[in-house]
Amino acid sequence: MDYVILSLVMLLIGIYGLLTNRQLLKVFISIELIATAATLNFIMLASPNGVGQALLILAFSVDTAVSAVILALLVIVSKRYGTSDISKIVAKMQEKAEEESEVEA
Amino acid sequence: MIIEILAVGLIISAILALFLDEVVYSVAALAGTFLFTALIYVLSGALYAGIFQFAVSVGTLAILFLSGEMLGEKPARKASPVRTGGLVGAGILLSLPAIFLSVSGTSNVAADVDFGEALWNLRGIDVVLQAIVILTLALGISIVLYERRKK
Repeated sequence: MDYVILSLVMLLIGIYGLLTNRQLLKVFISIELIATAATLNFIMLASPNGVGQALLILAFSVDTAVSAVILALLVIVSKRYGTSDISKIVAKMQEKAEEESEVEA
Repeated sequence: MIIEILAVGLIISAILALFLDEVVYSVAALAGTFLFTALIYVLSGALYAGIFQFAVSVGTLAILFLSGEMLGEKPARKASPVRTGGLVGAGILLSLPAIFLSVSGTSNVAADVDFGEALWNLRGIDVVLQAIVILTLALGISIVLYERRKK
């Protein structure tokens, strides 16, 4: 039961990083930490017959696929907007939206 | 006792991974997080989970080193030892609940095979060696990219 506290601390650190960091890569690292906390909890509370470890391989493969998709999106976004800072990306998106609305008007 | 030390290292490296400004150091700290997690799995008896955690995390780190080299921007401020020390202190403080509640010896994970058998007879060493080869390749490519960017 005590492993729950360790994974809870990891989860809270990941959520805090997700909410406060502005760099895209740091957001990705936060997501990785949250996934690590989830798998830690999953493994330590697994049944003793080894099924938990077998299912963990599935969890790892899903996590890796999600990581690959997220990283591809990060590279596309940062190349398109020329920065990896979320606040600058949002500002550029707003500028673009305003320009488009002016053209339509 | 060893698992408590690993738990402290896990929390400290997680905090360093999130709050260090330089991307390369941040990814290195994330490598520490994955390594500590794999060691906790192994010491708790979840050998396969430890080996797979190691292999998968090496793949993730390889991609992260490469994309970190592509996306990384120069940090606005230089890393100071005081800030790093503060982060380590925060990590120790945050890991106190895990230490005082004694994380060791409470796992349900079965340990039907020993580490040597999982690594050699059940071919876990293949997975680990492939992971090391992938990481070495990625590190080599990221060093080449870093040198090119410096020129």
